[in-house]
Amino acid sequence: MTRSHPMLTKRQAEALVVDTEPWLSCESCFHLMDRYVEAERAGGSPDPAMMTAMQHHLRACAACAEEAESLRELLESDGGTQED
Amino acid sequence: MTALSGGAAPGGALAPASVPRQAQDAPGDRLLEALRADGAAQTAALREVHLLMLRAARHQVWRMGAMLPGVGTVVREEIACAAADDALTALLGKLDTFEGRSRFTTWAYKFAILQAATEVRRLAWAQREVPLEDTGTWWATEAGPEDYAEASDLARAVTQALDHALTDYQRRIAVALLVDEVPIDVLAERLGTTRGALYKTLHVARGRIRAHLAAGGHLPAPAAPAEENHR
Ligand SMILES: [Zn+2]
Repeated sequence: MTRSHPMLTKRQAEALVVDTEPWLSCESCFHLMDRYVEAERAGGSPDPAMMTAMQHHLRACAACAEEAESLRELLESDGGTQED
Repeated sequence: MTALSGGAAPGGALAPASVPRQAQDAPGDRLLEALRADGAAQTAALREVHLLMLRAARHQVWRMGAMLPGVGTVVREEIACAAADDALTALLGKLDTFEGRSRFTTWAYKFAILQAATEVRRLAWAQREVPLEDTGTWWATEAGPEDYAEASDLARAVTQALDHALTDYQRRIAVALLVDEVPIDVLAERLGTTRGALYKTLHVARGRIRAHLAAGGHLPAPAAPAEENHR
């Protein structure tokens, strides 16, 4: 199939040049997501390399970003109790 | 579980072996212990964890509601319930991998979020054709001079990089994901591959585009392109 696309929008162009180094896979992102979101809420992590890799992945991967944002919201709505 | 069932541990510097265990929630510990036990305690714990899954799955379906126009409350609830069931199964299969580096409830939530999000994206695209280019010659096509004039320098340079720096497969994946905005798990399902494999292809493609742009002076730092064993 050959289609003619209009020119890229600025947003599309920017998405295509996102720097995804350091490499982190979606699988590893899922593996780290709970730790990452809790560290964000706590204001930091003893593992800055993990935080950086996660930040880069979440900027580059819409599906993982959606899931991380949802987890943030859930923890937020659990509020300060955090006990369930 | 879906495409992410691998749950591979990250390597090298990303595996924080020396990170102290996060403060754990006592109820989470109790749940975890009960899940690993037998009998009535385990049954009760399963019920409790299922409720957690249901809460997270409902939250996710609600968040993504705009992707399911015309889908009513009853069906949305069915989607959430099914996702919670599947997520509980996935969680139980991974129970031994829980490292206590987050609260158990946080760890549990992510399974339901993934399951529900994947299902909503799948349903939202179930009746839609996934656009995929078979040829690589369609970029320089129909944009008139005024279109180019309106496009940013970056957009022009990236368009050129799509044509010249990528393989056909890389271009098809990058365009489907980032231009046509096909969800990555939907695309993976249609192509018979995994979310992880597609993201890897996209990573390599982005590296090549960045390198092409850097060579043309459009990006400052010549990022080392990630090399690939992928198509
Ligand atoms: Zn991802």
